Amino acid sequence: MGTGSLELIGVNKSFSTPQGSLPVLDQISFSQNAGEVVSIVGASGSGKTTLLRIVAGLEAPDNGEVRLDGMSISGPGPERALIFQQFGLMPWLNVLDNVLFGLKTSGLSSREQEERAHDAIRRVGLEGFEDFHPKRLSGGMQQRVGIARAIAVKPALLLCDEPFASVDAMTRQTMQTDLLNIVTQEGASVLLVTHDIEEALFLGDRVVMFSSRPARVIEEIDVAIPKPREHSVRTSVAFQEQRAMVWDLLQAAAL
Amino acid sequence: MGSIAGGGIMTENNKSALRRFLCRPGTLSFAILLMILAGWEASGRTGLLDTFFFSMPSAIADRAWAMLINGDLIFHTLRTGYAYVAGVVLAIVMGVTCGLAMGWWQKFGDVIDPYVVFFSAMPRIALFPIILLIFGIGDVSRTIIVFLGVVFPVLFNAYIGAKQTPSLLIDAGKVFGYSHNKIFTAIVLPAALPYLIAGIRIGVTLGIILIVVAEFLAASSGLGQQIALTAQSYQIAEMWAWVLYTSFFALLIVRGTDSFEKWAMRWT
Repeated sequence: MGTGSLELIGVNKSFSTPQGSLPVLDQISFSQNAGEVVSIVGASGSGKTTLLRIVAGLEAPDNGEVRLDGMSISGPGPERALIFQQFGLMPWLNVLDNVLFGLKTSGLSSREQEERAHDAIRRVGLEGFEDFHPKRLSGGMQQRVGIARAIAVKPALLLCDEPFASVDAMTRQTMQTDLLNIVTQEGASVLLVTHDIEEALFLGDRVVMFSSRPARVIEEIDVAIPKPREHSVRTSVAFQEQRAMVWDLLQAAAL
Repeated sequence: MGSIAGGGIMTENNKSALRRFLCRPGTLSFAILLMILAGWEASGRTGLLDTFFFSMPSAIADRAWAMLINGDLIFHTLRTGYAYVAGVVLAIVMGVTCGLAMGWWQKFGDVIDPYVVFFSAMPRIALFPIILLIFGIGDVSRTIIVFLGVVFPVLFNAYIGAKQTPSLLIDAGKVFGYSHNKIFTAIVLPAALPYLIAGIRIGVTLGIILIVVAEFLAASSGLGQQIALTAQSYQIAEMWAWVLYTSFFALLIVRGTDSFEKWAMRWT
């Protein structure tokens, strides 16, 4: 896969509040190679989600530029898909239709759409639940639908906004492993935002650390754990050392 | 031995099945209805209740039967029903369209909002005299009063429904490349559906009240007109027959709306 390389150049964003302008992102620059998984880690409210929304095209930066495969982005596009923290499923659609929801604008024939949707549902392990409405599924299963909807469009860049923050701790670890396997197969670039250092390391090839409000890039580190990764690497010495290092860097920036 | 034991269990099951049937809310509701009718009839026959004002279920049933046979029941139901259905359909079409438009184009909504609140608060029947002056006694006037009753709750709820579409769902549409129009039809419309139905529910009930009252005031036929006419001419059993029949009709409409709601909201 030669696509999905992302470049952020001096991205600034502030929100206007009754108290005045609130800077959220301060000169964010980093780049991501095609096929790479980059985790952005930082405290809650540090502007990570805003950055992801800018890359998704849901919001425009005040200044600076976001380039995907060399092209400046100016809105949502089919080469990017987003997995929402709160799932963002249509409650009136069943699992199959929710996955098809993302394919409606693909221009594929309805037969191809169905095939893609069924394939995505199978890959997230929701076979047999096609007719279920979101309300009847657990949070973890709802997010599996969210993942299926995103991978069904075969994006070059998959954006994940705290994808497991609304999922219970036990399910979270299983889903992290599953997501890792899925994105490894896809070969898509993944930009993941999380406040969970372990998640950032477990899923990422590289971790970008954000300071909080306004967010600045503190540090970037390569994750020194080879892929494929099993659940057990979480307890390895190398993993724990990197985890401690990231934690220290984030702490130092917070002081 | 086995068959005896089996038989014992069977009776046990039958007994509990019967008990379950008797304890069902529907069965109990019906039992209470029978008790009320029996009590009413008994009070009438013993003179406890003044039958001049309250009549008796047997007399009312007798009159209702006669009305059914001579075609009065059907005729007046159709007279009222025609204007009612026309008013309701017009109101739903207009109310849903305007309400959703107001929710979708926020600025338009903000401008129109005070008028909607004003007309929702206005007792719509107050407009009936002028409607009569303009359109005369007849179907048009009745249709208009039903329309005015139904349109505002429908419109207001559609407005709120469209406005309250979770931004998360709209974002999901944008991310997957949905156009402005497609976001409206594929997301805002279904998200507003529960509100639409709630508005229709309020509207159809209000519409029944309004058309009956309007027919009291001026009509040459219809259920409300018959209630007023029979009361004024002291045909009390007939009056009760019309009142109960109208209420039953209203009940059917509300139940119909309920079923529609259940069907439309089957995903919840």
